[in-house]
Amino acid sequence: MAGRKGRQEVLESVYSVIALVFILVACVELCDAATVVDVYRLIQYDISGVPYGSRLSNLNHHASSFPFSPGTDPSRTVFLINFRDLNLTSIQEYITEKRQLGGLLLLLPQKFSHSNKEAAEEGGQTHEQEQTRGLLIELEQLLIGANIPYPVYFAFEDDKIDAVLDDIKRNDALGQPATATTGGYKFVVSTPEPKKLASSTLTNIQGWLPGLKAAGDTNQLPTIAIVASYDTFGAAPALSVGSDSNGSGAVALLEIARLFSCLYSNPKTRGKYNLLFGLTSGGPYNYNGTQKWLRSLDQRLRESIDYAICLNSIGSLDSELWMHVSKPPENAFIKQLYEGFSDVAADLGVKVGVKHKKINISNSRVAWEHEQFSRVRITAATLSELSVAPGLLESFGGLHDQRPLVNPAAVVRSVKLVAESLARHIYGYQGKNIQIFKDGSSLAVNPSYVTSWLDLLSRTPRVAPFLPKNDPFILALKKELEDHTAEVNIQHELLDGIFTFYDSTKSQLNIYQVASVTFDLLLSLVLGSYLILLFCFLVITTRGLDDLIGLFRRPPSRKMKSG
Amino acid sequence: MTVFHFFNCAVLTFGPHAVYYSATPLSEYDTLGTSVKAAVVYLGTALIKLVCLATFLKVPENDMFDPYQELLKALIGLVDFAGIYFALTQLTHRNISQHHKFQAVGLGWAFADSVLHRLAPLWVGARGLEFTWEYILQGLESNANLVLTVSLAAMGSLIWLRKNKPRTLIPIIYLCAFILATMPTTTSYLKRGLGWQLPNVVSFELFTSLVMAFISWQLFSACQRPSV
Repeated sequence: MAGRKGRQEVLESVYSVIALVFILVACVELCDAATVVDVYRLIQYDISGVPYGSRLSNLNHHASSFPFSPGTDPSRTVFLINFRDLNLTSIQEYITEKRQLGGLLLLLPQKFSHSNKEAAEEGGQTHEQEQTRGLLIELEQLLIGANIPYPVYFAFEDDKIDAVLDDIKRNDALGQPATATTGGYKFVVSTPEPKKLASSTLTNIQGWLPGLKAAGDTNQLPTIAIVASYDTFGAAPALSVGSDSNGSGAVALLEIARLFSCLYSNPKTRGKYNLLFGLTSGGPYNYNGTQKWLRSLDQRLRESIDYAICLNSIGSLDSELWMHVSKPPENAFIKQLYEGFSDVAADLGVKVGVKHKKINISNSRVAWEHEQFSRVRITAATLSELSVAPGLLESFGGLHDQRPLVNPAAVVRSVKLVAESLARHIYGYQGKNIQIFKDGSSLAVNPSYVTSWLDLLSRTPRVAPFLPKNDPFILALKKELEDHTAEVNIQHELLDGIFTFYDSTKSQLNIYQVASVTFDLLLSLVLGSYLILLFCFLVITTRGLDDLIGLFRRPPSRKMKSG
Repeated sequence: MTVFHFFNCAVLTFGPHAVYYSATPLSEYDTLGTSVKAAVVYLGTALIKLVCLATFLKVPENDMFDPYQELLKALIGLVDFAGIYFALTQLTHRNISQHHKFQAVGLGWAFADSVLHRLAPLWVGARGLEFTWEYILQGLESNANLVLTVSLAAMGSLIWLRKNKPRTLIPIIYLCAFILATMPTTTSYLKRGLGWQLPNVVSFELFTSLVMAFISWQLFSACQRPSV
């Protein structure tokens, strides 16, 4: 009895082990997709609780090309659209009417534009590129500003996905349902549900280059601040590198710091001005980082600031530069500043215009970085190629803003302009035609330095909420500024209130070629008939035809046997 | 949907074995025990084969057809033959006729082979979302393998169990047995030496299996005639 019981227990444990093995085997999920593509999700964020961007991240639907065939159910289909043949109005219709789609995958051209130089040679192409760039900006603004209840992803064109798109298009054109032989595709992105980012850190980096105090001079030296925001914002956070806005400004700032560190390292050429360099974060969010940085500055230091120059989007060669100010141009300080710039600009053959935009204190919107300075009563100006103040979250390094858009020569030119006018101011050479940073001299602007930093910035997505405190990029900026200035401080601040961001910016898309239900049904029919035929054949050959007929005539064969 | 596909492929891979068992007189004489024993012998043989392969073969660096290695593999493949010999002669079967014995052994052998070689890939692969023809082809291959194994077992039973064979047929029987035993090497040569695609290889296998089955059948009945 006991033995039997024991055996039963053993048996039971064996069963449980077998069950466990089966469960384990069933859990094995293999990634055996035909194609795996890197995809970048549209940003998802809230502004004071109002949702914007793509609200979902998981994707598991059949694919279709955009002007979809009447048979498909759009809410269960992923639309694969190549940006080249995108029809913006139809997309707009979809988004504004809030129609439910299964998902959207936008294919961006691999290289947005080949190079400015090449494009300039072919006039027609430039025009075309301008058009595509405009279209992309428009699309981006549309996507950023809408609440889209399905996943939206960006991917880059390559041979594999182009082949998939061609296949899908061909099928859609034929109006065939997806089958195994004609290539039905299933797009799967499995990522965890996007989660709110607990807090977004803004990291400001400040470099200090002290001036030379004359012996016995007790007064504090005046300070000149040069500021650029370095973070970006775009439709796809993992793709917003912002080469021009504001990579170019940050690079120019580093180069100016380098030039003045050369001058200030020698006591003979050390000027009677302190220089304050600020790489600020939080630019897209009303220059929140700049505001916090200014607030945290020492009161005496803040009062010693003579004026501040903010650099913003200065990487394009063919547009003139604008000096944006918030005090009327007739103001003495502004006038002096403007004259300093325009003097040097005339020597360099650049046009600099001045634009005045009043600040509305009651409005929380801050369009230019200098406005944050003006709010704390510091004379400031922004140097930019943009003639009009951008809207909220606009012009901060979207998808179009990539390395080819920026011309290093333009950055070099802007560096010269700013550095030269600063130097004339510091050393008191206003109005005199003296070139301090002359080409070929030891103090010349270094184009390869500018280019290499531009390249680095154009590879690094810098959307502040997704940039951790100790990101290698931030450390690199800090290190670089440390090399050129006497003292570097890093300041971590939390992004103010109204913005909430969600993670999961980058994932992988698995493309499966799948068979349709009809195909599976058909296959099982064929297999069934094959087995039946085999059965009949075997019975006939081994037992004879009579037996086969007998099998059907007398189904209860066991009864017969016993009988 | 993918479970459905898995089910289809499983039916194609293992269905014919079941049909063979139930349709032929094997089921009537209750030869399941013999088949199970043959399957166990197959397991043992496979283990020995594995050990041999691991001992004597180099790990192939590329997917090329290396004649020396393949020869070695074919020699190790003859262990199969020994296994079948063991299953046919040494195992004490219940009183079943030679006619059914070799069928039962071949069936058990082929079924064990299918389960060992194809069940796991099928379970892992055919349930994936991605559709390929591979598993359907694999099922067809399993069918061809069944026919080949039964033919091989028939040849084995002719060689070892039947004493009074017509003299003239003996070389043909040995030739057939040799061809059947070297089939795995042949297909491997086609696949890797000549770079055939899987569909071609499978159709070749199906074709040869049918031809060999026909020849074996003719031989078997020819040997049967004098005694009947």
